[in-house]
Amino acid sequence: MSCSITRWWVAVAWIDRILKEGSRRVEEVEVFYGEGTAISADLKRRNVNLAIRSDECGLGIRTIDKGRIGSSTTHDPKRWRECLDAAIASGRLATPQQWGGLPRQSEFSTETLCYDPTIPVDPKTASGLLGKMLEGAAEHPAEVTSGTATVSSTTDTVANSNGVRYTSRHTGVSVSLEAIKEHSTGSEFAQSCYNDIDPYSVGERAAFFASQSAGGTDIQTGKYDILLSPIAYAELLGAAFIPALSGRNVHAGRSHLASQLGESIMDSQSSMYDDTYRQKGLGSTFWDAEGMPARRVEFVRGGTLSSFAYDLRTAYRYGKESTASALRSGAHGGTGIGHHNFIVDGPRTEVADDRVIYVHSVVGAHTANPMSGDFSVEISNSFWMEDGEFQAPIRSAMLAGNVFAMHKETGGISEEVRQIGSLVLPSIRLISQRIIGT
Amino acid sequence: MSEPPGIRYYDLRHVRGESTLVDIDNGSVESAGTSFFNRAILRVLGPHGWGILQIDNFKPASWEKFNALLDSAAKLAAITGQDVNLHEASQRACKVPVMSEDPRGISIEEKTSLLAEIERAAALPEVVNRRANYIERSEHVTFSDSSGHEFSYEICRSGFNVLAVASRNGTMQMGYEREHSIHGFDLRHRQEYGRNAAKVAVSLLDAGHAKGGRMRVVLDPELAGVFAHEAVGHASEGDLVQEGNSVLAKMTGASIGNNRLTIVDDPALPEFGFEPFDAEGVAVQRTEIIRKGVVNAFLHSRETLAAVGNGIAGHARAMGAEPPLVRMSNTYIENGDSTREEIMEACKNGILLKGSRGGQVDPGRGVFQFNAEYGYLIERGECTTMVRDVSLSGDILSTLHGILLCGNDRAMHPGYCGKGGQSVPVSDGAPHVLLDNAVVGGSGVD
Repeated sequence: MSCSITRWWVAVAWIDRILKEGSRRVEEVEVFYGEGTAISADLKRRNVNLAIRSDECGLGIRTIDKGRIGSSTTHDPKRWRECLDAAIASGRLATPQQWGGLPRQSEFSTETLCYDPTIPVDPKTASGLLGKMLEGAAEHPAEVTSGTATVSSTTDTVANSNGVRYTSRHTGVSVSLEAIKEHSTGSEFAQSCYNDIDPYSVGERAAFFASQSAGGTDIQTGKYDILLSPIAYAELLGAAFIPALSGRNVHAGRSHLASQLGESIMDSQSSMYDDTYRQKGLGSTFWDAEGMPARRVEFVRGGTLSSFAYDLRTAYRYGKESTASALRSGAHGGTGIGHHNFIVDGPRTEVADDRVIYVHSVVGAHTANPMSGDFSVEISNSFWMEDGEFQAPIRSAMLAGNVFAMHKETGGISEEVRQIGSLVLPSIRLISQRIIGT
Repeated sequence: MSEPPGIRYYDLRHVRGESTLVDIDNGSVESAGTSFFNRAILRVLGPHGWGILQIDNFKPASWEKFNALLDSAAKLAAITGQDVNLHEASQRACKVPVMSEDPRGISIEEKTSLLAEIERAAALPEVVNRRANYIERSEHVTFSDSSGHEFSYEICRSGFNVLAVASRNGTMQMGYEREHSIHGFDLRHRQEYGRNAAKVAVSLLDAGHAKGGRMRVVLDPELAGVFAHEAVGHASEGDLVQEGNSVLAKMTGASIGNNRLTIVDDPALPEFGFEPFDAEGVAVQRTEIIRKGVVNAFLHSRETLAAVGNGIAGHARAMGAEPPLVRMSNTYIENGDSTREEIMEACKNGILLKGSRGGQVDPGRGVFQFNAEYGYLIERGECTTMVRDVSLSGDILSTLHGILLCGNDRAMHPGYCGKGGQSVPVSDGAPHVLLDNAVVGGSGVD
């Protein structure tokens, strides 16, 4: 019961006391315990300004009694009785729902999916990553404004009163850098659960976008073909499309896609799926946050909407099957519906051969309308592109469109994919999109 | 006893408390419960930069154990190379406003019942989803530093959001209302928020798309507040100025807007972004960022004030026990002397934008974007057709010159602002504002 990393069986033995006490008072109990350490170092311009060590631990308890679900969390494992009381009290207020029980223990491979013991979680490693990014940034005439490098190691345990006892270890390395030339900014980042990122390249790309975007020219309002980089695509998908795949939003009346199951929603050769066991995937796992055995979820197959994502709670309520899509937002967060490694796939084409406007990222994606999918955002680090080569930068413009409709207006996806958090995305070419120039 | 060698300064901020959340979705109580948090941050200033420890489940320690923590933080600081200096600052705490009714004295059953009334009020024909959340966070914060300062305070922020989603023939639109406060429990007799959210959602089903392009725009007080926050506030943050990542760097004394425009940030104002002292124990007070159209001062922490100058410290804020960042608190455009009617008349033809779905800025590039919840076309000074999904973007250094008139009806609106992975409570405000030659984004065409 401390914030240091304990051996997994010690954690489980301690958690057994909560499960035993809770089971005397309610039908079922679920416990989540996470602990870990992260070390970060931040650049201010080209010098390291600060280094942080963060020791985190969090306990979450969920109780189920006669279909009433209660929950509570705490940073202090020694206050587990208070946390258990709060979870049970919370359940008494909840509206009862159909409930078919927490999962039972399954057997899994002992292989680790997101753990690399060669990652040293120490300040020197973080400092070294920053140094490599600075070397890369020196490739182009831009000034570094800020940067961050983080290394981390965490252990998560999920257990329940039906016998589930799962513990997984995770490691992480992430870097990011921002650069500027005159009033032109550029940024890049990389993250992995393995010791395989290329900080030099991150620095080089950030400085490249800052320096190459300088001196941009205006563009006339009109319709243009757009090439969204994986970053820009991820920003728009995450703001409005992916929430519409959540079973809870679908059944609650908050999803544009709710009535389109079995209908064509994108190119007939394209697909979207959750690949839970993806090699080196940042969200790869054998089980979800409720202890359900993880599995591949086909959201879109052959262009047709095939499935939504469900956790146990939503699945039981609406007579569906859990897709093992429960996620927990950190050691001190609650559970919700999400995905593990969200993939967009389809036939690969040379998306940048014909003249197109390349959009590296957008400003204001989170202001998209999550119900209708409409957005109008400022584009960043945008260039005319032809034969795959960056040409003249575009100074400023807005892109207005609809995140659902645009998937029926595609001109192909790129061979290269990029991992952005739990999304693995290609660049996507969109036909005849509306640009508002200056 | 003394701290380990090589430490120029340290401070400790311990944040503990409880949060209560109630979530009602289409009449079903999804959750209604309390969670507990307890976290501390210890900052040590070494020979060069900072070494910082963040500790979950923190308990005040003996001097010997505390010295060991200082030593650990000092070792982290050893990898830093930037020479950080701290500006002298007045350190004192002001009083937290007394609450009209302490939310902690009200049972969660009553909170749930009152929230359910607001959620039910959103039930109109064509509304397919109603969702209401109550959020209450009670924080006890203690601050101490190596200079012998020691302050503490307790603050309870509470409020609610209500969302209504309307649907017809495959078209979906939403209405959203919220109220958050430091002044006490505010859930009683608030059904009109639910009704308004529903009315907006249903009305938007018939709204058209705005045609994008340059035009005259009237911003309502909520959206004009977001405009001040995004277009000016972030770019005035001392850390961005220090990094060379703000278009306002080296612009002190420059005229960037018309002489009617004054933009202020004031953490001492008893609004949702209020702080009794900042995250470095520094006294909070008003800063005029823009005074009569001229860049006047930046927002600062002790570190950025020492590095950049021009302004005052007292603007360092943190989400819980996260590292302090230079942040806005209560940001607003000062009242002008025009009435709303005069502004509408002066606009003649353009668009009125109302409510906020948030915004974002790239302060180094000087480009901002924000989105209205809805709007109305203005024709011959009168509101006509309702429009949806309309946003506005612009260039910080030129857009402010386009402010033609400021109204005399300033109102503040609560919200949250994200920066560096931290979300902190803020309020933004303004009177109605008339903006000329603004770039409006929308997918409508002729």
